[in-house]
Amino acid sequence: MLLVPSCWTLGERVTVSLSLSLSLSQSLRALARARILYKERNPNSPIQKKKKMPFISKIERQSDYHLFPSTTPIVIDNGASYFRIGWAGEAEPRVIFRNIVQRPRHKATGETVTIVGDHDPALLRYFDCTRSGPRSAFDSNVVYQFEIMEYILDFAFDRLGANGSRIDHPVLITECVCNPVQSRSKMAELLFETYGVPSVAFGVDAAFSYKYNQQLGVCAKDGLALCPGFTTTHVIPFIDGEPVYKGSCRTNIGGYHITDYLKQLLSLKYPQHMARFTWEKVEDLKMEHCYIAQDYFSEVRLFQKGDKEAEDKTRCWQLPWIPPPTEEPPSEEEIARKAAIKERQGQRLREMAEAKRSSRINELENELHGLEFLLQQLEHVEEHNIPSFLSETGYVSKQEIESAVQKVTQSLRKAKGEPKGDQAEAEEKTDPATNERFPLINIPDNMLTPEQLKEKRRQLFLKTTSEGRQRAKQKRFESELERERKNQQDEEKRLENPELYLEQLRAKYKDLSEKVEQRKRLKTNGNHTNGNNFSGGVGRGERLNAAQRERMRLLTTAAFDRGKGEDTFGARDEDWQLYKLMSKDNDDDDEGLDQDEAEMARLSSRLQEIDPTFVPKLEIVTSQPIEVPRLRPLTKEDFQILLGVERFRCPEILFRPNWIAVDQAGLDEMTGISIRRLSPVGQEVEERLTNSIFITGGSCLFPGMSKRLVAGIRMIRPCGSPIRVVKASDPVLDAWRGAAAYATAPQFLTQTFSRTDYYEKGEDWLRRYQLRYTL
Amino acid sequence: MELEVVKAELVLPTHLSFKQIQMYEKYPKGQSRGRHWKHLKQILQAENHQNHPPDEPNYVNIESPPSMHPCKRICDITGYEAPYYDPRTNLRYANADVFKLVRSLPKEYVQSYLALRNAAVVLK
Repeated sequence: MLLVPSCWTLGERVTVSLSLSLSLSQSLRALARARILYKERNPNSPIQKKKKMPFISKIERQSDYHLFPSTTPIVIDNGASYFRIGWAGEAEPRVIFRNIVQRPRHKATGETVTIVGDHDPALLRYFDCTRSGPRSAFDSNVVYQFEIMEYILDFAFDRLGANGSRIDHPVLITECVCNPVQSRSKMAELLFETYGVPSVAFGVDAAFSYKYNQQLGVCAKDGLALCPGFTTTHVIPFIDGEPVYKGSCRTNIGGYHITDYLKQLLSLKYPQHMARFTWEKVEDLKMEHCYIAQDYFSEVRLFQKGDKEAEDKTRCWQLPWIPPPTEEPPSEEEIARKAAIKERQGQRLREMAEAKRSSRINELENELHGLEFLLQQLEHVEEHNIPSFLSETGYVSKQEIESAVQKVTQSLRKAKGEPKGDQAEAEEKTDPATNERFPLINIPDNMLTPEQLKEKRRQLFLKTTSEGRQRAKQKRFESELERERKNQQDEEKRLENPELYLEQLRAKYKDLSEKVEQRKRLKTNGNHTNGNNFSGGVGRGERLNAAQRERMRLLTTAAFDRGKGEDTFGARDEDWQLYKLMSKDNDDDDEGLDQDEAEMARLSSRLQEIDPTFVPKLEIVTSQPIEVPRLRPLTKEDFQILLGVERFRCPEILFRPNWIAVDQAGLDEMTGISIRRLSPVGQEVEERLTNSIFITGGSCLFPGMSKRLVAGIRMIRPCGSPIRVVKASDPVLDAWRGAAAYATAPQFLTQTFSRTDYYEKGEDWLRRYQLRYTL
Repeated sequence: MELEVVKAELVLPTHLSFKQIQMYEKYPKGQSRGRHWKHLKQILQAENHQNHPPDEPNYVNIESPPSMHPCKRICDITGYEAPYYDPRTNLRYANADVFKLVRSLPKEYVQSYLALRNAAVVLK
């Protein structure tokens, strides 16, 4: 199992082999955890710009809950992807987990249990997870399922170490921008009623992140915050350090949609590996390999041309694959042993055949003797006694006995194994015999009795059929000779000029294959349309092939000939001959195709024998975009998943949501909209805003995001205005850190509201409640 | 419970000391649990927007308008630029090879590709 190398450089062909076992992602997570610890201890040292940190879950139960006085706020970042909770004033949240809940049934006891967050699938095998998928409390970015929210909060407080009779700390919890009041009030109710929290404050995560970075000096007092999140993307202008929600803007595209798009694309491109593309795996792939192209269409043109650059940019994921065990060539002893066994078996068979043959010969000889004896006896018997004499033996006349004798001698000869020349002789002998058998033919009709006439007709019929059979045999023989001769000629031609011969064969093959393909195409285009059918004509309006057209023509002309007003088709017998014409047409078509196919098969086998570079043209089996020809065993390449265009096609939807049929503006356009929405603030303020464009949120970690944003925003701003895009110092955790820093301020408690406030002031006040971010 | 499951503390305990009302009291077994949660659409409808001043930002107000930029089309299958589309299947394609592929796809794949951009035929 290979560890992932730590740097990707363009220009190096890097093939990654990721094993699918969970242990790899766990080791990656361990690496990431180590990085976080390192950063904690040395907060100012920049860590080497690595690709991306995979998100990690921290769910160990904290043991220092009791150390915190009840004035210390608990800070919660309630995100659609991850839930982070910790104490105010700290640098890292204590507990992080995925914001999902599963309620499977325990297989042994049958009770339904609750599992929060993502867990090792190995442990989940004790549970029956078929009827319970992971469920989230969110619908887009708003919490609506408060039962699930309660499970999540239970788990979070439990892991934070809570053990009193209530949560006796003020809680700062994040929400989405302009959270609907119902969601807000239900959340407040949950916290007050069920957990006994004394006071609660709601804030927007993007704002906290902005304030935190403002203190770090990353962005200025006035600026724009761009926050591509998990399900939505926001743009919020900040003036004087406070967010102006009037000018904010939201598009419903986020990391979730990118992962989903990638998953569907891969599943369609590699349907045979569809089971491998689980959500978690695809998310890992996305974080590893996806990037944002500076200009989508020029990147794509690189791939279309098939340059070496494009090849470098293609990543390859090798699925675990075991080659089938190669059979070693059997050793000498094996071969000898097998040959000996075969020899023995052959010997046994030969003996058996010998025994059978000799017994049969004996039988026949006995029969022959008997018949000859009978004949001899017959000599002595008089003419009129013959029938009565012979009735005992079962033969009716002397001729029968003689013919029986002949037959027996013949089979005896065959059994004794004499060459076939004699058999031909014997056959020829039957010819005069047959002539004798049809004595009545040559006698003219008027001389015979009625029974003899009947007899004559029968003999005539028999004669013609036997003659016909002989003629057919002759023809077959001749065609055999002909083919032999042709093959001989072919061989000679090949020996004298192999190259030319090969060329000719190949050309013939190509012609034939084209003809066959075209005919097939006509056929399938007529009968098999995959998609929309337009109405009209036969049945469902499918285009008719030649046979069907002919049929229609015949029918319509037949009907037409009768004259208008009256349809007397079928009154006469000859009318029905029409159908004989029609069915013949159908047969012809198929026959022609079969002949061509047979010819093609023959040619291809010839070519395969003599031409090492020939590859038979396989039928285009139309079930999959990528063919897996079953004629050859699966190779390593079949188990490779190539990520080429998908690498930058998927994150591109952040800028072009139209590709997912989300009819809203993309990231760069949103900045323009946001600035426009602010009531006319003046050129100067706008410049200050664009001078400090701050991006945060998990989905902003794609490489190439900043450059692309600069290019995009420059297109919509007046020429020459300053544009500066800065990324948050830690886009994933900065929201929590900002909230934690905010909660430590002494005036924080003035921004919260307590239970009594909530019940007295009512919903309207709650709707207008907004946090003031500069304290 | 199996030992390793207990050790990993996978399962949420049913009784938590810091809660005033436990889950099993709030949602007794047998009742339809959770089916009465309003979805986002219903929540937004319930917000009486007429009563509030229209220029106050709320969840619906701050949504982005449709994009002004002309939409550049890409091939559904390969991702290249696609100036053409197939009238029979409604898929976009980039060149003749891709077109061959498009015409040879079975119906399920066609509908899946169309579903990526929400153009699939949905029978209700």
